[in-house]
Amino acid sequence: MKITYNIHSVWAVMVLLTIASYFIGELGSGGLVATVFLLLAAGLKAVFIIRDFMELRGVSFLWRAIMYGWLLVVCFSIGIAYLFSP
Amino acid sequence: MLDSTASHAEIEAKLLPGDLAIWFFIFMELLVFGIFFIIYAVMRIQNIELFNQYQLTLNRELGMANTLLLITSSYFVARAVHAIRLNEVKRCIQWLYAGLAGGAGFLILKSLEYSDKFSAGISLDTNTFYMFYLSLTMFHFLHVVLGMVILLAVAIKASRGAYSAENHTGVETGASYWHMVDLVWVILFPLVYIIR
Repeated sequence: MKITYNIHSVWAVMVLLTIASYFIGELGSGGLVATVFLLLAAGLKAVFIIRDFMELRGVSFLWRAIMYGWLLVVCFSIGIAYLFSP
Repeated sequence: MLDSTASHAEIEAKLLPGDLAIWFFIFMELLVFGIFFIIYAVMRIQNIELFNQYQLTLNRELGMANTLLLITSSYFVARAVHAIRLNEVKRCIQWLYAGLAGGAGFLILKSLEYSDKFSAGISLDTNTFYMFYLSLTMFHFLHVVLGMVILLAVAIKASRGAYSAENHTGVETGASYWHMVDLVWVILFPLVYIIR
């Protein structure tokens, strides 16, 4: 386990991303910057969970493709629906 | 020859943690939640004003607190897996119960949130936004309950000496499901509570 990148630091970063997302919500603003930030924050947290908590780092390509593929399709679809809505 | 090829492949790709069956189950769950999320986003396009208006009535503080609880609970369960690999059975059990406490905290806060909404007369029929908010979060709520039942079963089995550094597939299986519950929530929280 690396000293700086491990499940402890991953947990701390996820806590910070969650608090940051809450404050973005408090600003009450929509739009491109807020939406992209919130989706990236959620996506990054999801990557940490898949890679470091579920420990899928280094497993077969198929399973990583399934998990990250799911994440990509969901976040991308939500992003398109929000950014390109009238 | 064949044997050496197989063992070479095993060295290259790490095996999935836990029982393989749980990963098919996790994949099916993710598919269902993923479809749910995309339908929510598409339905919002047709009801933007309504979704933006009623999203503001949700309790974002509770949403954030619940996210922190699930992330932390998932972290505790990851530590339980690390502990059993070191043959620290007692510590593994302690981390599992700590994870369960996080899940219980989530259920308590979510129940408070629901009770607030139900006492205001809000139900699935109130409008499209609340229909999605209630059905999505309640569907997830049920998964938290199931995840906690699995974790509790693993903790009880661990306290009976069923797991060790050599044999801990059950701990990994339970942990993988619990992380899935967390994974779904980290998308659900910004989608339903914040993004507008």
